[in-house]
Amino acid sequence: MSEANSTMKQVTPDSAVQNSANGKYDAVIIGSGISGAITAKELTAKGLNVLMLEAAPAKDMSYKGFKSYLSNYYENASKDNNSPYPNNPNARMPRSTDVSKLKPGVADAKGYLVQNGPLALDSTYTRVTGGTTMHWEAKILRMLPDDFSIKTKYGVGLDWPINYDDLMPFYQMAEREIGVSADVEEQGFYGIKYEPGYVYPMHGLPPSYLDKIVAKGIDGAEFVLNGETHTVKVRPFPQGRNGIPNERYNNGQGFTPVGALSTYQVEQGGRCQGNNNCVPICPVQAKYDARKTLVAAAKTGRLDFLPQAVASKVVVNEHDNNIQHIEFKHYASTSSTEHTVHQVHGKIFVLATNAIENARLMLASKLPSSSGLVGKNLMDHTYLLAWGLLPEAAGTMRGTKCTSGIADFRHGEGRKSQAPFGVDIHNDGWGWATGSPFSDVESLVDAENKFGRALRQSVVNRISNQLLFAFMVEQTADESNCVTVDEAYLDALGNQRPVIHYQLSDYSKAGIAYSRHTSKVFFQRLGAKDFSSYSPLDYGHFQYEGEDYYFRGGNHFSGTHIMGTCAANSVVDENQKSWDHNNLYLVGSGSMPSIGTSNTTLTLAALCYKTSKHIIETLSQYSVGVVSDSDYKIAKGASHE
Amino acid sequence: MDNQTYLVQQFTELSGALTDFNAFALNGTGLVQCYYDTLTRLVGHAIVEELLSTFVSLYESASNHEQFNEALRKHILGDEKFGPVARNIIKLWYTGTWYQMAHFWRDAYGMSEEDMTFFVNSASYAEGLLWQAIDANPSGAKGPGYGSWSAPPNIHFDNGWQFKPFTHTSK
Repeated sequence: MSEANSTMKQVTPDSAVQNSANGKYDAVIIGSGISGAITAKELTAKGLNVLMLEAAPAKDMSYKGFKSYLSNYYENASKDNNSPYPNNPNARMPRSTDVSKLKPGVADAKGYLVQNGPLALDSTYTRVTGGTTMHWEAKILRMLPDDFSIKTKYGVGLDWPINYDDLMPFYQMAEREIGVSADVEEQGFYGIKYEPGYVYPMHGLPPSYLDKIVAKGIDGAEFVLNGETHTVKVRPFPQGRNGIPNERYNNGQGFTPVGALSTYQVEQGGRCQGNNNCVPICPVQAKYDARKTLVAAAKTGRLDFLPQAVASKVVVNEHDNNIQHIEFKHYASTSSTEHTVHQVHGKIFVLATNAIENARLMLASKLPSSSGLVGKNLMDHTYLLAWGLLPEAAGTMRGTKCTSGIADFRHGEGRKSQAPFGVDIHNDGWGWATGSPFSDVESLVDAENKFGRALRQSVVNRISNQLLFAFMVEQTADESNCVTVDEAYLDALGNQRPVIHYQLSDYSKAGIAYSRHTSKVFFQRLGAKDFSSYSPLDYGHFQYEGEDYYFRGGNHFSGTHIMGTCAANSVVDENQKSWDHNNLYLVGSGSMPSIGTSNTTLTLAALCYKTSKHIIETLSQYSVGVVSDSDYKIAKGASHE
Repeated sequence: MDNQTYLVQQFTELSGALTDFNAFALNGTGLVQCYYDTLTRLVGHAIVEELLSTFVSLYESASNHEQFNEALRKHILGDEKFGPVARNIIKLWYTGTWYQMAHFWRDAYGMSEEDMTFFVNSASYAEGLLWQAIDANPSGAKGPGYGSWSAPPNIHFDNGWQFKPFTHTSK
């Protein structure tokens, strides 16, 4: 991992256009996040030639470039989840700091996402090389088997055309690529199963001291829901960050973690150091991000990477409805909107931007699909936060952002009437809810008038004792939640911006309200003082059965090009291939018809492995130069060296 | 000792009294001079020197820590002019952030145009005393090592600031 491994062959727009006109590219991939990176790595490993367009610059592929993100973060007075990443008017990204309370009937266009309401959604994504995995937290859960058939089992949302068993082998591949730290014996619950003898690449991360205090207080708490008893147990999360390699992995071959990317020798990131900063940036790169996969793809010599190229239009052949080319706008500098317009051709095209941008691009290209579902069924995990002060110093603000949580409300018959949820115990205290720890210092000094020893002691009591539960509540598909485009809202390059229409159903609200109920029981058992409050002035405020709540977005945009069983009920098939356009794939969480209570990345990564396999099989029928299976080592596990 | 060195030393002592971190701990951040310069740049030399001489006279006339704290509260933290400055010094040390002064203060004492809320530099964020107080690393820097989060925090006051009754040799 210490060799010079950040060399990415970058092409100029002119040579990309020339190459594509000469028929060089088997696949054109739009976006360098985890979906695009995995697809590129799989395809190039099979001998296929790939062109990848990335809307952002690619300076961060060097160690120096990465370090500039860190300096931005340290110096930025706001520490929101996109704070390390430079503002780029040519490929803007949403920031939670742009979100404010909406006035009924008035769209709010001050951020990149145009918020059409009725509720404002503060979710974000990151438009840089490596995509949102740059700022993701990297909790990396499999979905529960039940999550794939919620319509059939519970009468809510939509079913998948495939099930857990279909995804199992691909989950394994995704866990290898991301480098997951977890112990199988702690993760096999509520139907989650593994192939016999399977172990994760690395051992699970140790729980935080805070986790242990919380577990001591709430393990064994019982809740009765729809006649079923849910017994609480604090459990560790699988993590997409480097831990101690498991020597039993891959039939005893072990696992080599991928550390920091650099142009010169930097031994860093081979193991998590507990920087407590997974979001918005892991300073040592122990957390997986998609640049690691991109670099592996680039090493094949078959990936042409074109940064600063914003896909602007998908153009269809009238005679067979296939994609003829993709038009893109290339800019020379983020400080100028000057750009040139080009088009690229390939055998197949893969849109791997993200759920919002994939839909935005299709709609801006006037391709809403024959089902009319592009952009519809927008989902996200909705979070309720509940925060309190423990009676003792719990060492809060140490460790990764979150090491453990509660899975016992993710399953069961209760799902017929209210949304299920997972629970995170936040090692970073009240940060998400109140801006801790800085806000605590401000209030102790300016409002409580503390100084000297009394201040220092209060800082301990106010911060080290903090406990925040984040309840991640499932949202089911609803066509009225959607992303659209509008000529009235353009970005600096003249591309249409996403317009978000977002509301919470009573099913969601009932789940959120129940999660709040459980938090009260937890705080009581822990002897913690409950500080949660949900102001009607908050942009995420809503009332349910007379009580005030607010929600936060989960940055898990999904559902905007759902997969299904036919062109009438979905946008893509089980391989994420467009029903309408035979050479087009829309990949990522946009393909998910339901999201359960798992952070979406592992499942969307698994889907990309399934899609890559399908693409390779399809292209080999056209007898392009696909290498033989014996050379195809990636899926079998000899990558990473 | 030249006057500049003396002022910086008194600034360190005042900072110690306000934050409860001793000179050793404050010097260990490497930021004493930087914070002194930031303060004088933003609120002006005159006010800083006035503040420090007030501090010295309070210190010299107090016979124990309790008495000193009372005087500090009344004549510095509870003073119309010095209070906001002293509170900014505390927040600067605890968070590495300079906070913009309140409007009434700006109007009354003619603040610099640079007076905005900002991190003094990237080191100041990582050296915030709040992290030391709770035995945690600053989020995103100084990673303490794999698994360290599993043990209880080691919270102590060993490097707290001590009031020592004034003797005329201490200058």
